[in-house]
Amino acid sequence: MEMEKKTLDYDVAIIGGGPAGLTAGIYCGRARLKTILFEKSLVGGLATYTDEIENYPGFDTPQKGIELMRKFEAQAKRFGVEFKLTDVKAVRLLADGRKLVETFRVNYRVKAVIIATGGKPRLTGAQNEEDFLYDKGISFCATCDAAYYTGKEVLIVGSGDAAIEEGLFLTKFARKVKVSVIHDEGILDANKVAQEQAFANPKMEFIWNTVVEEYRGQERLETVVLRNTKTGELLPVQVDGVFLFIGYLPNTQLFEGLIALNERGYVITNEKMETNVEGIYAAGDVREKSLRQVATAVGDGAIAAVAAEQYIAETEYLRDRLLSGDKPKLLYVWEPTNERCRQLLPVIEELNRVFQEKVALEKVDVYKSQSIVTKLCGQMPPDLPAVVAVVDGEVKDVVCTGLDAAKLHQLVRGLVAD
Amino acid sequence: MAEYRLDCLGEACPVPLLKTQKKMAELQVGDILIVEVDHSCAMKNVPEWARKEGHNVEIEEIGEGEWDIYIEKAK
Repeated sequence: MEMEKKTLDYDVAIIGGGPAGLTAGIYCGRARLKTILFEKSLVGGLATYTDEIENYPGFDTPQKGIELMRKFEAQAKRFGVEFKLTDVKAVRLLADGRKLVETFRVNYRVKAVIIATGGKPRLTGAQNEEDFLYDKGISFCATCDAAYYTGKEVLIVGSGDAAIEEGLFLTKFARKVKVSVIHDEGILDANKVAQEQAFANPKMEFIWNTVVEEYRGQERLETVVLRNTKTGELLPVQVDGVFLFIGYLPNTQLFEGLIALNERGYVITNEKMETNVEGIYAAGDVREKSLRQVATAVGDGAIAAVAAEQYIAETEYLRDRLLSGDKPKLLYVWEPTNERCRQLLPVIEELNRVFQEKVALEKVDVYKSQSIVTKLCGQMPPDLPAVVAVVDGEVKDVVCTGLDAAKLHQLVRGLVAD
Repeated sequence: MAEYRLDCLGEACPVPLLKTQKKMAELQVGDILIVEVDHSCAMKNVPEWARKEGHNVEIEEIGEGEWDIYIEKAK
């Protein structure tokens, strides 16, 4: 029995409730945009997988990832952002420029979408991996599962910040924390502080030049077979659990064919977090970028939200003001510092007096909004001033060469005749 | 289409997921299981597992740090 899906209208939909999405929410909410944020599981994203965050500015003592994210969430809620804890099934473009965000029960019609879906942990691809996911021995979250491994032995795979820092955290619970590192002896990818602590920690033991070959066990994982990358030798390691910290993959399957992704699946944006589709933005780890941190996600989120706000304001100004009205329109696209633009201004005023019953004349200042002019003219006019003829809410003609008093008269009379 | 509730309050990982998996096996297609959890770790693995199995999932925050996970058995 299929339930009739209802459709709700919002200004902005934010997909993903990590630091980027939450910051975008704070900015959208504060801009008084009607905002809905979708999170498929726990608000806070990958930051909640981190025990301690000590490089997020403004907090001089280490913060629990989950607690820092609770503050982000509370702040977004204070500005009126609505939260929906469900997964987005699809995003579609509507004919009028709006976007449709589909979930299990409800469709949301929105003016702008901010994609902040982040990443998911990478798997090793070793044999039998699927059999031990979901609490059967393979984990990606030390803060979630550390207590379970109290007094037990675990293996970490990876040597970056997450691997070493979360490994150190696990030493507070586990009896032994072994670390499988792909590099030569002594080489870790993690930051120096973490490296020093790890090498000094008696519970940590490194197994160099190794990758995972196979997972073995009955109901739960019992053994991880490592392979030495130099000798090919197989090394079975008895464990109670394994933690994979070998990087992340972008959560962008949903957006394939909708927006441009790079060859690794990350969303390509410009400096304003704009994707190649108008009104769709991306922020945080899901973007093609050089540094994926809470601190950089926050900046992305703020930029994306302001860009979305401007886009909505301009789209509405264009539709409700510049392109609306029951009379034909002549828009004078000008720049106050341009001499020629100023010279023709009296002609515009005169035409307005004579023809105001039949044609609406309006001035559009390029200096105030380049993007409105670009949308209006299809591109930035190579020459100023330019005029745009609008009939029935649609741009009929853009003229930017040979404009003089006679040409302007001719254009206005043409519109009157229409 | 019946609705069942599963009380996992106070239970840490992996217990909520194991209980959910066991209960879901007993349900008919179209039935809904509401899993009550108050450990954030369960908010990560229970919905993810259920979606991977193809079920429809929605979550409601009941209070701070307490959630109802709605799982509609899809197959």
